Amino acid sequence: MTPGMRRLYVPRPVEVEVGSDGRPSSVDGIAVEAVREEWLVEDRWWTPKPLGRRYFELVLVDGRNLNVFLSTVTKRWYRQRG
Amino acid sequence: MEVACVLIPEPELADPVEAGELTERLLRRLERIGAAVESERLGEAFFVLDGLRGIHGGESAGVLAAARRAVGKGVRIGVAPTRFAAHAAAQREAIVPSPAAGGFLSALPVSTLVGRLELPPREAGGLIETMRRLGLERLGALAALPPDRVADRFGSAGLRALRLARGEDSPLRPRRPHEELVEQLELPEGAAGGQLEHALKLLVARLLAAPQRKDRTVLGLRLGAVLSAGGSWSVDQGLGRPTASARTLRAVLAPRLETLPGPVAALRLRALGLGPPVGDQLELSVRGEEHRRRRLSEAIREVRSAQGADSLLEVLQLDPASRFPERRAVLTPASDR
Repeated sequence: MTPGMRRLYVPRPVEVEVGSDGRPSSVDGIAVEAVREEWLVEDRWWTPKPLGRRYFELVLVDGRNLNVFLSTVTKRWYRQRG
Repeated sequence: MEVACVLIPEPELADPVEAGELTERLLRRLERIGAAVESERLGEAFFVLDGLRGIHGGESAGVLAAARRAVGKGVRIGVAPTRFAAHAAAQREAIVPSPAAGGFLSALPVSTLVGRLELPPREAGGLIETMRRLGLERLGALAALPPDRVADRFGSAGLRALRLARGEDSPLRPRRPHEELVEQLELPEGAAGGQLEHALKLLVARLLAAPQRKDRTVLGLRLGAVLSAGGSWSVDQGLGRPTASARTLRAVLAPRLETLPGPVAALRLRALGLGPPVGDQLELSVRGEEHRRRRLSEAIREVRSAQGADSLLEVLQLDPASRFPERRAVLTPASDR
């Protein structure tokens, strides 16, 4: 990244528990009320550094809306705004 | 007089854009030791040693040592009484004192003149070939000829060659040192089309927000790119009149992006000259939106000078339609409105 510049909407690591269907059941210890949407994004699959993300738009029991994704490459969970 | 010539080796000049950057870096490093440098061709720099001895120990050797430290390894340095002789000396990494300059030049082949006669390469080559056919192999033989005979046979180019062969040369015309104002943006993957326009907007904003600009206007710009497929590209853009308007700079540079030969890995913008500060320019009465814009610009400058260049940021859309949110926008130092 060029000095002085800051990216927006950078993914942040997050603790996610998943249910038997592979969908998030809690985020940072807060239960998921509903999964509003789910989608898959893949890019750069033709390069040595492919990107693959399974996104979930969630509603938590505390009322917050949240987007999280599971990196299909690193198998880690992240939350992301934007 | 002692003239030093510093040469970047030919293989490093293969890419013209990179060669321009290397040359600019070389000139700046020499300017930092106090040298007034002349450079009319890529990869070469000339400066007079005489005025620098006082600040580098009193001897030419001290000046040369400082120059070597400044430019680092891998370049060739030569010294001789004239520009032409210094260039030949640098190719041989030689130091030619004034009394030995005549002998040094006499022994050089006439082909040394190629590139130094202010002639297109083909015409210069033709002139040298003619000299050889007439038995003039060395500069010494050329220098021994009377000027009227040289003028009769070779014209004005021949007279110029004769002057160089005799150790006569015009004085150096050093450039005026100026602060470097350059911004580069690395793009995460081959960018093209609309993404490049966003990147250009960001570069212009950063260039105008750079503290070393000190409110001065821009006189000309060089837009360069590192291409994803390898190689590079650049174009110089004059501005007609000094300006510090982001909108004007974007308007003149945007059409240039269309001439890019392919996707881009990095975009670079360099100010080729800085003019008088914005406030020094004459203007007609300003009202309405322009008045508000200027007040905002002034406020931005005040915040920036009090809190630092990166204290005031704005959101710049890079690739708003990207499926990866972190590629859509960046925070960047606010530009002058």
